[in-house]
Amino acid sequence: MSTAVVAPLLVALVTAVLTLALGRYPRLQRRASVAGALAYAVTVGGAVWATVLGPSAPGAAAYQVGDWPAPFGITLVLDGLSAFMLTIAGALALAAALFSVRYVTPENQRVYYHPLFHLLFVGVTGAFLTGDLFNLFVWFEVMLVVSYVFVAFYGTDRATAASFRYLVLNVFGSALMLVAVGGLYATTGTLNMADMARRLADPAAFGVDPAPVVGLSALLLAVFALKAGLVPFQFWVPDAYAAAPPPVTAVFAGVTKKVGIYAVVRLYFTVFAAAPVAVDLPGVGGTTPLAFLAPVLAAMGVASIAVGGFGAVGHGRLEGTFAYSSVGQVGFIALPVAVAAAADPVAGDPTESLRGVAIAAALVFALHHALVKGLLFLATAAVEDATGTDELSDLGGLAGHAPVLAGATFVGLLSLVGLPPLTGFFGKLLTVDAAVRGLAVGPERLSAAALAALLGGAVLTILYATRVWVGGFWGVRTPAVERGGTDLGQVAVLVALALAVVAVGVGFDPVYRFAEAAAAAAVDTEAYVDLVDPTGGGSA
Amino acid sequence: MSVPLAAAVGGLFAAGTFLLLRRDLVRVVWGVAVVSQGTFVYLLAMGGVDEGTHDLVPVLAGHGESVPEVADPVVQALVLTAIVISFGTTALALVLSYRAYEENESMDVTEWV
Repeated sequence: MSTAVVAPLLVALVTAVLTLALGRYPRLQRRASVAGALAYAVTVGGAVWATVLGPSAPGAAAYQVGDWPAPFGITLVLDGLSAFMLTIAGALALAAALFSVRYVTPENQRVYYHPLFHLLFVGVTGAFLTGDLFNLFVWFEVMLVVSYVFVAFYGTDRATAASFRYLVLNVFGSALMLVAVGGLYATTGTLNMADMARRLADPAAFGVDPAPVVGLSALLLAVFALKAGLVPFQFWVPDAYAAAPPPVTAVFAGVTKKVGIYAVVRLYFTVFAAAPVAVDLPGVGGTTPLAFLAPVLAAMGVASIAVGGFGAVGHGRLEGTFAYSSVGQVGFIALPVAVAAAADPVAGDPTESLRGVAIAAALVFALHHALVKGLLFLATAAVEDATGTDELSDLGGLAGHAPVLAGATFVGLLSLVGLPPLTGFFGKLLTVDAAVRGLAVGPERLSAAALAALLGGAVLTILYATRVWVGGFWGVRTPAVERGGTDLGQVAVLVALALAVVAVGVGFDPVYRFAEAAAAAAVDTEAYVDLVDPTGGGSA
Repeated sequence: MSVPLAAAVGGLFAAGTFLLLRRDLVRVVWGVAVVSQGTFVYLLAMGGVDEGTHDLVPVLAGHGESVPEVADPVVQALVLTAIVISFGTTALALVLSYRAYEENESMDVTEWV
């Protein structure tokens, strides 16, 4: 059972090595890449089914690497939360790999595209699975080093400059993360997340002073916000997204951004939430480090929605519009997390409490954003491939010229706006629902701010989605559009993703139950500690 | 021992930040390297620089009778890993800065696109 936990990681690693070995044979390499992505998606599905969703599944599983018991060895954990995020990664890996094969031609494949693509998923999978704070840093680095290369992939002056800036920023972020990890190790005497949660829950018994955890967790929040591209750490996003190959941009927006959100939820709600430490800052008060998270994350979320929304409305290129839009959408994910952080933990069923509901809403929105933004970035690539441009001023009349491509994009835009029964509707509905529930039971001012930002952000979304549709797809056909011809394989991937957006929306009930299970896993510190069993004598 | 270590960490971070904010590309790469070094010293200091005992080094408790007179080996392992990562990233940063010089014909970041 527990070997299922490590399987997705191994599959991605084996594919990366295999595609590297096949570098001399581009055709074979591309086939291996697609087969590897398919195997990755199937393995993720199998592992999630066997440990979380299946009828006889235990709900979660831990794997002790090398059979070293928990607090000293490295632990990999697949619980509801990791499973939900991994499912997103698996779905997007397959779509992006299929699209890459049609988009990245042998001339610009340069041997390294496909190995790097799978190494990106090695890093992402590791970050989702690891149960060890220092390993989280290591997997982040695996993911980041690959993304530096991808941003610089085309080697133009802009790409190199974007990659250099992205690198310097993230190296500094990683240095801060190491400072936080070192501080937490000095404070709690452990790096294992379950062990840390156990010690923080009962600080007197372990001789731990939990007060520094508030500051150190704030440092971690800054680092994770940088990875997630939340305002005020969003400035690298548009450059880096424009420079990277478009299928990889889809993965950046859909998956690697979520790693930052996942890390916030995992560390704050599973690990730090149990620490009894009074936060006494101006305007902030509470009895756990979450009290600090709530207002700060809410402010970041509101600012992200504003900056992302206005940036997207004012941008003249499809890619730039969607890059700014993804800054705004991460704000939509951050706001329910902030509401959850401000809510009182209620004993009993976590799926009923505001905290559980709000985290589930954030997760559903993350899923929606991954599918839709994956679809839209891939559609941008298809448009650019067909017409040679993604400037809105050079586009027009695509709806008549390439109806299937335009139809798939339209589904994506509608879901972004939030029309039922698409996934975006449920994402928006649940985030607003969480904010309204917050108004009823808990932190009124924070929930009111969240609600206002969510509604304002929705209006901005309608504005730029309409602008993209009217400017690029309706109207008179421009010469660029008239010349262009779409690639059938690319459009097929887009249609599949559009169908997924519809299917997840129509068959939403099981998806929501999965998100609820994930949220329950995120807030249930005790179950997490029991699973990993960090007493030193645990079995693998 | 803590005071000199703290001074070293502070000095390295200050120097690194100063270098990171320079206009010259190579200085920025130096800044990245120096900040990383500051983090490593900090990590070592966080492990404590006391004489090793069984309580301090639980990993070694079951492996031989004697505990070597070292600081916490866990942080040393962490620093080793972090150095490897930082080394790779710095190499990549140097390659990128050379490439950026070729593309922009300038080492001054303010003259970039």
